[in-house]
Amino acid sequence: MSRHSNTNANANASTSANASTGGESRRFPIDLERGLPALDGATLRAHAGLLLAVSLMALPLVIAALISFGTRATFTSVSELSLETAAQNYHDVLFRYDMGQYMLNSLLMSVIVVIGKLAVSLLAALAIVYYRFPFKNAVFGVVLLTLMLPVPVRIVPLFQLAADLGWANSFAALTIPYLASATTVFLLRQHFLSIPASLVESAKLDGVGPLRFLAFVLIPMSKGMIAGVSVIMFIYSWNQYLWPLLIVDDQSMQVAQVGIRLLQGVVESGDIAWPLMMAGSIVTLVPPLAVLIIFRKPLLETFGVE
Amino acid sequence: MASIELTDLTKRFDDVTAVDGIDLEARDGEFLVVVGPSGCGKSTTLRCIAGLESPTAGTVRIGDEDVTAQEPHERDIAMVFQNYALYPHMTAERNMTFGMRSATDFSSAEIDRRVAQAAATLGIDDLLDRKPSALSGGEQQRVALGRAIVRDPAVFLMDEPLSNLDAKLRVQMRTELSRLHEELGTTTVYVTHDQTEAMTLGDRVVVMNDGRIQQVDTPQELYDYPSNRFVAEFIGDPAMNMLEVTLEAGSSDPIVRHEAFTIEVPNAPETEALDGGRAVLGFRPEDASIADRGTSPTGSVPDRRRTGRGDSERTTGPIEATVQVTEPLGDTLLCYCRAGDDEFKVQTAPRTGRAAGDAVTLTLDADRLHLFDLETGEAIYHSDTDRERRAATPEP
Repeated sequence: MSRHSNTNANANASTSANASTGGESRRFPIDLERGLPALDGATLRAHAGLLLAVSLMALPLVIAALISFGTRATFTSVSELSLETAAQNYHDVLFRYDMGQYMLNSLLMSVIVVIGKLAVSLLAALAIVYYRFPFKNAVFGVVLLTLMLPVPVRIVPLFQLAADLGWANSFAALTIPYLASATTVFLLRQHFLSIPASLVESAKLDGVGPLRFLAFVLIPMSKGMIAGVSVIMFIYSWNQYLWPLLIVDDQSMQVAQVGIRLLQGVVESGDIAWPLMMAGSIVTLVPPLAVLIIFRKPLLETFGVE
Repeated sequence: MASIELTDLTKRFDDVTAVDGIDLEARDGEFLVVVGPSGCGKSTTLRCIAGLESPTAGTVRIGDEDVTAQEPHERDIAMVFQNYALYPHMTAERNMTFGMRSATDFSSAEIDRRVAQAAATLGIDDLLDRKPSALSGGEQQRVALGRAIVRDPAVFLMDEPLSNLDAKLRVQMRTELSRLHEELGTTTVYVTHDQTEAMTLGDRVVVMNDGRIQQVDTPQELYDYPSNRFVAEFIGDPAMNMLEVTLEAGSSDPIVRHEAFTIEVPNAPETEALDGGRAVLGFRPEDASIADRGTSPTGSVPDRRRTGRGDSERTTGPIEATVQVTEPLGDTLLCYCRAGDDEFKVQTAPRTGRAAGDAVTLTLDADRLHLFDLETGEAIYHSDTDRERRAATPEP
């Protein structure tokens, strides 16, 4: 009996270790009969590979986190880290250097962009899939063509346009250029195409209008897909740097990614305040990470992983 | 309730003509079945009636109204689809009411009353709270039927509604559909590729091929008097045998000459032009009997079909043939026989011990012979002459 509880503890340890390395659906294989985990070479190699990959990817983040807990730009020993310093750093970053405000701006911008993009893309996909209009395929082709023209490519005319419209330093400038999304239209279109045509026809026979059909049939049937693309859109929007940097020069309107850049201007004893920058980076990381964790399942479904 | 009238209905998709100028009428309260092989245009015809396709030419009338240009929801129809078309995220009840609540001004109480009534009719009272994924295929189809019934439309359109069910359930649902139609009396157009479904359900059956109507008739008339080769071979299972023959004038009745046999055909067609001409002889496997050698050719095999046909005991033959393959079906034994270079099927009594290689003598029911034009496939002649008499008596 004691042996069994012991192995159970082992098993728990290995599953949690496993979960932390990112494989949530893969359970460590345990043979209860023998009370020992069934290990073979292939499993071991796979896990070693995963561990290595995750460590490599996590390393910069770990270093950033460690530096944000100290007072200097280099990390030499654990004894230099203190929670008090960390609290001070994070407090300074958020309130003294306005990262809190920037993050709020980022959040607002990202939420507007996500909702706006969804609204535009849902309507566009609805039109492309369920309506007959001339040059439909050509229109869809043009929509896809915009994938080749991301914001950085058209940033100069875009700046000119936004400036002429008097949108500088406004949420209009931050969000409106991002409202159209070929990727989202494409993904929703593919999803709508997979919904049987007879559902639409049945709605047509019943006299259910297109918007009602969208709201009560298409959207509920596409929940997973919508949640998945929303996550991608949110992170994409949250990570915008170049465009806000150009179009916003009022610091109270600035966004988090540019905020990190602004932290470079904080100079302490003749040196860039790296701990503050790292603290800023870490807090900026939190919202997209939270979104990823919360919407992990629909996101994986969107890409057909699960 | 309403009648449906199609006039010169044509539907072309690019260069494919799916429906080629058909004229058809479904009478008020009739159960009209449209049957044909896949790609014959039957579904397209139905979709034109529904308004899901707009015809290239021709008109659709429902009741006294020309609905050709109307939207589907203006036509007062309900359609049942092959894949049920239930909304997967809604309960059965919501599936039944969604359309009504969305686009009609019925009161909630009225809708609830109708749902309760439809659910009782279909025996799905207990399933109303379930989502389609928790329902079996048959139950889903019932819900789909319920959705059609609650709207109390003038016309039901059904597009192969039983095709996704397993064989046993299909037979059961078939009976239920018949009962439902009896109860509701709503004009129904039912599309299927299954001739058994067509025969059992239809007041009248429309046989379609290549976008054209081949024949419209009651099931029995279709079976007895197919108007061309296509109908003859499509209706009936196993299919009618078709043998190429030469027509000759005989002493009393004309003679049909095949390389392996010569038989007389009674109640001859008067067309002298056929003398010496080539034609196709059609007879059904169930209208041929194996006569044991040395005995009288008639009556050697219990004949199920003749019940009810009374006096008709005349046979013609004999045909010498060899059994090639046998297929025991339990109630009958299907023999694939060969005479000359032609092979044909004969349905015989079971447990007779016939086996491949047996030489047999066949006789044919002299009242169940058909001749078809070799070129056009049109029926030249049916040996049964009761048609006029039978057409006069009302259908059961």
